[in-house]
This record gives sequence, C-alpha cells and structure tokens, in this order.
Amino acid sequence: MNARFSTTGGMTGILPRLAPEGSGGGGASSRPPVVEMRHIRKQFGPVVANDNVNLTLREGEVHALLGENGAGKTTLMSILSGMYQPDGGEILLDGQPVRIGSPAEALSRGIGAVYQHFTLVPNMSVIENVALGAGSNVVLDMDAAERDLQAQLGEFGLNVSPRSKVSDLSIGQRQRVEIVKVLSRGTRVLLLDEPTSVLTPVEVEGLLDLIRQLKARGVAVVIVTHKLDEALAVSDRVTVLRGGRKVAELGPDQIAAGTRADAKRRVVEAMFGGGAGAGEAAVPEGGGHAAGPVLLALHEVRADGNLGAEAVRGITLELRAGEIFGIAGVDGNGQKELGEVIAGQRHVRSGSVSLDGKEITNSGVAKASALGIGYVTDERLHEGCVQSATVADNSVLKAIRRAPFSNGWWLNRKAIDAHARALIQQFDVRTPGPDVRIGLLSGGNIQKLLMARELAGNPRVLVCNKPTHGLDLKTARFVAETLRRHADAGNAVLLISSELDEIFDISDRIGVMYNGDLAAVFPRGAADAETIGQIMLAGRAGAEARA
Amino acid sequence: MSATSATTARRALLPSGARPFVSSLFAIVAAFVVGGVFLALRGKDPLAAYGLLFTRGLGTGYGVTETLIHLAPLLIMSAGLLLALRAGIWNIGVDGQLLVGALFAGVAGSAIAGSVPAPVMWLVAALAGMLGGLLWAVVPAILRVKYGLNEIITTLMMNYVALNVTSWLVKGPVKDPDVVPPQTRLIPKEMRLPDIPGTEIHIGLLVGLVAVLVVAVIFRYTVLGFQLDVLGRNRFAAIHAGLPVGKLTAFALLASGAFAGLAGANDILGVKGLFQGNWSPAYGFAAFAMVYLARLNSLWILPFAYFFSFLAIGGEMMARPLEIPTYFTEVLEGLMLVFFAVAVYFERKFAPADRSPDAMEAEGMPSAAITAEPIVTPELPVPTGERR
Repeated sequence: MNARFSTTGGMTGILPRLAPEGSGGGGASSRPPVVEMRHIRKQFGPVVANDNVNLTLREGEVHALLGENGAGKTTLMSILSGMYQPDGGEILLDGQPVRIGSPAEALSRGIGAVYQHFTLVPNMSVIENVALGAGSNVVLDMDAAERDLQAQLGEFGLNVSPRSKVSDLSIGQRQRVEIVKVLSRGTRVLLLDEPTSVLTPVEVEGLLDLIRQLKARGVAVVIVTHKLDEALAVSDRVTVLRGGRKVAELGPDQIAAGTRADAKRRVVEAMFGGGAGAGEAAVPEGGGHAAGPVLLALHEVRADGNLGAEAVRGITLELRAGEIFGIAGVDGNGQKELGEVIAGQRHVRSGSVSLDGKEITNSGVAKASALGIGYVTDERLHEGCVQSATVADNSVLKAIRRAPFSNGWWLNRKAIDAHARALIQQFDVRTPGPDVRIGLLSGGNIQKLLMARELAGNPRVLVCNKPTHGLDLKTARFVAETLRRHADAGNAVLLISSELDEIFDISDRIGVMYNGDLAAVFPRGAADAETIGQIMLAGRAGAEARA
Repeated sequence: MSATSATTARRALLPSGARPFVSSLFAIVAAFVVGGVFLALRGKDPLAAYGLLFTRGLGTGYGVTETLIHLAPLLIMSAGLLLALRAGIWNIGVDGQLLVGALFAGVAGSAIAGSVPAPVMWLVAALAGMLGGLLWAVVPAILRVKYGLNEIITTLMMNYVALNVTSWLVKGPVKDPDVVPPQTRLIPKEMRLPDIPGTEIHIGLLVGLVAVLVVAVIFRYTVLGFQLDVLGRNRFAAIHAGLPVGKLTAFALLASGAFAGLAGANDILGVKGLFQGNWSPAYGFAAFAMVYLARLNSLWILPFAYFFSFLAIGGEMMARPLEIPTYFTEVLEGLMLVFFAVAVYFERKFAPADRSPDAMEAEGMPSAAITAEPIVTPELPVPTGERR
C-alpha cells in the first residue's frame, strides 16, 4: 500500500481514493506519515527563515501552520512545494528520503499548493483550466472530462458548469476550482496558503466544510494561516513557528472542542512568547468621536477603474473629525478606487471631493497630500515603496520636496537620515539601519514604515487600505491602536478592509461597498457580521431578499 | 542581537562597491575571446591583433591622445543618457539628437565666428547645439507624456528623420555656397576649441568630465536626481507619491537630447569645424553599451568610457596594418552587451534570494508569484511606456 493512490477512470477518476476504510481519522496505522520534514534549515542572507523545523503530515489529517509574520511558515511551505531547496535537513515521502527540485516535481509526487494568488486563466473555462497542463495527452476527450469534472465540482458544492468562464466566478468559486484542479493532478498533500483571506464569512464556512471533506478522503491538508479560530475549527494538529523555529505542536487531544479556549491560549503564548499583547481585548474606544466637524465630504463621486469600467458609482460620504469610518467589502467592489480618489491618485469623472469645505476634486496626489490627506496603499511593494531604495529614502518618498528634507532643490541627507531613524524607533521597524534596502525587510516592517511615513505628515484625513493585511497579531494591534489614536486626536480615518474583525474592532461607523456603491452604513454596534457579510456578497437587495 | 552579528547583517544587506562590475569585466573578457575566434576564422592572428590594439592604443602617446579626444563626446552623451535611463526612459534617439545639435552648432558657430570673441562663439554654438538636440527630443517627449506612446519607437524613428533632414538642410538652406560638397561654413581652425595646455587634446574633454560630474551631483545631492531615480525604479511608487511624473519624463528625454546635442557641438567646435552631410559618428550604440557596463552608475562611466574610446581608436590602429575591417570593434561592443546580459542573468539566478517568502507574504507580492516573477533589479531599468 505504499504505492501511489489509484486514479481510476470513469466518473470519479479525478480525485484521490487513497483512504482505506476506517483510517480517515488520522494515521494510527503503522504506515509511515505521508510527509516528514526533518530538521529543515533555510537561510536567506543573514536571516534564518527556518531553523531545525520538523513537520509531519499524515493522511486524512488537517495540519495548521501558525506563526507571526516572518515566522517562517511560507518558507517551510515553499520548501515542501519545491520552490526552494533547504540548506539542511531532509524530506521524507512515505518514509523515503526525496529531493523536491521544483514545484512540478512536487506536483508529480502528489504535493499540490493553492496560493492566495490564483493561477487560473480568467478568460478560459473551468474545464480548460483544469485540463491545462494536466497530462501529456495530445487529444483531450473533453466530453468525458466534462462529465468527470461536473461530478467533482458538484461534490465540492460548486454548482457551476465546467464550461463557464473563470472570470464569471466569484473568488470563493475560483478557489474551489483551483483546489479541484490541484486535486485532479493526483494530489494527496494539499497546501493552502492563507485560504480564507480572500473570502467572505459565508464562503469561509464553505471552505472549512470542503477541507473536512478532503480530510475524509484521506488527503493530508496543511493550512497556513493567521486566523486562529479558523485553524482550530478545522485542524487535527497545530504547529506554531516563531523566528524560524518550531515552538509548539498541539495534537488532536489538545485542540478538541472542550479544551479549545485552553488550546487557543497556548498557541497565542507560543506565537508571542508569554502572551505579550496578544490578548482578546479590543482597542479601547475613543472618546469624543461621535460628532466632530465634517473634514472630508464626497458628493456623488464617480470614477473609473483601471480597466475602464466604472468602479465608483456615485458615492456620497462625510467623514467627521475623530471618527474611524470602516469600509467593508469583497475585493474589487470599488473600495480601492474610492481610496485612490480621496488620495488624488485617481481621476474623478463626476461629483466632488472636498476637504474642510474646500473643493479638491482632481487636484492630484501632491496637492491632496500637502492639504492633509494621507493614503496608506494596500499594494505595499507594488506602489507603496521603492524596493531597491533604502529605508531612509522610502521614508521621505512623498515629502522630499519639503523642508527639512530638502530646500526644494538640494537634499538634506542628514535630515532624511534623522527622520528615518525617528520613524524606525517610534514604530519599532525592525531593520539593521536606515540605509538598508527596504525590499529586504519583512512585509510587516514595510507596512509599519509606510504607516509611519503617512502619520509623520499628521494628515487630517488618513485613508488606509487593508492596513493589517498579512500582519501578525501584535503588529496588527499596534496598527489598530495607532489609527484609533490618530482619530482621537481630531482627525478622520477611512479604514478600507475585507477583514470584518478589523473593521468591527475599531470603526465608529461601518459602510459596506458593493458593486461600486455604498450599499449600507451602520453606526458602531448596529450590525452584525452576518448582515454585513450578506451585503458584501449580494448588495442591499440581495441581503434583504435573503432575510 | 550582538554587535558582531549586526555588522555581519549589515555587510550582507548593503551593496558592496565593485562587486556588480565583475559581470561587466566578464562580458569584456568573453567578448575578446569570442572576437578572437572570429578573427581566427578569418585567418587573422587574434593575439597579434589584440597585441597591436593594446600596444598602439594604450602604449603610444598618439593612441592615448586620440583616445582622450574621442572620449569627450562619449562622456557628454553617456552623461545625458544616464539621466534618461535612470529615470526608466529609453532615449534611443541620441544619435539623431547629436546630428541636429551638431548642425545647429555648425550653423550658429560659423555665422558669428570672427565677429565675436571666440569664447562667446563657443558658448553660442554650444547652446545652439544643446537647443538642437533638445528640440529633436520634443516630439517623442510630447508623445510619451501626453499620449503614452513608447519612447523607444518614437526616438528610434526620429533618428532616421534626423539623418535625412540634416543632410537635406546641408545640401540646401544652410549649405556653404562657396564650396561644392554639402557642408556648413567652416569655422577657422584658430577659432576652434584650444588644447589643454601641454597636450594636443582640446578642452572638450573637460566639458565631458564636467558633464559626468554634473550628472553625478544631480543623482547624489538633488531632489531632481532623487525623483528621477524613484521614477526609474518604480513608476507606480512615483505616481503614488505624487511625483510630477510627466515633467520628470519630459525632463529626462529633453535633457538627454540636449546633452547629445552638446556632444555634437563638441565635435564641430573641437575637431571638425563644420557639419558635413554624410557625417554620422553614431556614438549612441557605444554610449548605451558603456552606460550599461557601468551599471547606470555615474562615476563608473569614466573608466568604461575611456575603455570604449580606446577600443574605437586602438581598433582603427589595429585594423589597418592587419587588414581587419574597422567595424570589428563594433562586433566586440555588441558581443560585450550579449555577454553582459548573460552575466546578469546568471547573477540573478545564482544570487542567494535576499528575501524569504515569509518576508514577501504580505500583500503586494503574493508568495506564489515569487518564483514566477523575478524581481527587477534596479540597476537595469526595463523598457517602460505601457500605460494601464
């Protein structure tokens, strides 16, 4: 039975059938684990990303890999999926040592990965995507494949035709197609990288169900995640990494429902070492953020997206001093474009934007920023910073023309350096120094610097798009507190996020964007996650119809 | 973290001085080796050829003097090219801009030569040359900034227009009516640029050195240089930061045009004295090659420019006695670029990854994309021009 599972032909040929009866619950048998990673070590420059890490995956077991940002989770998974070679240690597959030289080799050995960034071709059909590169067959028997696939899709709760175009599917549906695609290559070890980060709450539940289904089929599943609750809800085993080392492993007994609160505490402790700052306490609510004067007003604003279609469809919105206005929405519903409109980075086709009663519509980024609008982009590496430039240079990217960093013509390197050092200290940016290329820092530290850069200008209105995305709990909490403080100081914050927890945590009002429109606005505490989730998914009408 | 490990970390994180030039040296050596094979295939003795190249080009006073004279336009042109390339702007049209600049300088200089003091004439001719080169970059600049048209195409096409327009002008409107061949009026020898005292090298070389220094200062100490660098390294960050992207783009194109025009004026005032219809020095290719081998570093242009200048002069001195075609040096230059590209490829491939995927998992660089999309190294701007 050490051979590969069979991929029998016919109706159910796509999916693995390896779990022998009765062993679905986890590897109590004498067979070796499907995957054993032993003493894995990997170094990137001076950074030890993985140090003596052991990880064991058994068939029919869901294994959650938890850890702070930069703890080494993604490195470990990249090694398992063949993207990187370990500097030390070994990988055993079914008890045999192997070398996984490339992602293709990993796939051929039955290790498949689904990343946050999907690899589907949007303008091809589902079946074309699944068949893409599936084998060496010159002629595809599309009809047979379609029947197979239809059955599989149905099994995974995907009621879409294999002929439908991927671009017509929702993000959650696409993720399922991606999973089906990977499974169709004979995958028995499935790596899911932050699988819930792009999903709405309803879709998350569906995904967790799907994972349980896979588990019953004997697939070994690894979930890399930041979200403790989801991880504990579905996993049999939890491994916690910190600073590249494995600091805890919890088995099935320890995370059974009865002891979950205890397990949670242990995991948090392991992640942060002594529960520092990782508690459940919400950020304290601000004081007088009920009714300050209106700082920013949008009236019937319309703007186009990058692809030309209208992305912001007549939004009217007022931001008051002292408040945090949260914008919830599934990615791609115009939130990003709304943020860019306010920052002056996107052209407003009609309507008006005014700051302190003064119209600033289409006055451009430089003007908007000089007038007191800050914008923390969600695309940190793409547009937020110049990766090849130093931390110091990046810290003054927007303010370089102002004193004291320059007199308009000549740079004042000393002032730039001092400014960078101050930001690094205030925001606890982990870097060897201000003269290090920012691209070498971890995502969380880059985010801290971008945040610090905007706040240094003390903006009247601060727009933040997904400010804590991908950050570890501690850093996320720090960012949330910083935003709260900034609002309490008499400024306004627009917090855009697809993460409902984040929005609920610190927003005074919550708006939901759907299809370019502000579908609903709730005062703090007036709406629950389910209502908002439904509006995110289907707009106001859809939510009411369902109710 | 102990002090020593912090130092080690810093050493590993900071770029070290001359390491990037290993690839450049490899490219040069490999080009000579493969060039030697070509020579051998033609029945020439490569060792004898290279021996002549180095002994005559580097070992004789004449060779060194000629090399330094030839160096001036190369320095001016590559200084301007650097302004464009560091901003991510590919001004392929420097040769055309040089021609127009040279024609302007020839016409302006000869028109006032004799009626004003020589230094005034030089200044006027130099400014005319810069104006000519700048004007020739105006159309590509407008097309790029206003309509997002790729400057690689437009500047390239403008080269052909320049070639033909200048040769037409010099046959008609600005022709010296007193002579038969198509050329502008001659600037008398005694009114041309004087030699640096004690040498036979005209002062254009100093202009070239100053040009490189000016560009080095711009990139090191000014807001302008800072912004050009940001634009070249990450256009989207420049937009996000509210930099005047259009103005910077236009500046990069126009300034490199003006520098090319000045290089043309330099040759008119220092060497030729007039603009001839069939004159086309085509320094552009060598300038591109050397700026790349210098990895877009302003001061490193100096040694590489000298090397390329030596190659051009020494190549001629080697070619005649051995009956090797003079364009053999161009073959060498081309091979250098090919091997340079190869070297950079391996540099990237075997460079230890400097970010762990964990460091990149934050939004903006999805981990799955890490291996699929190599990070563009800043030293080499990729062609831009596409708009979203």
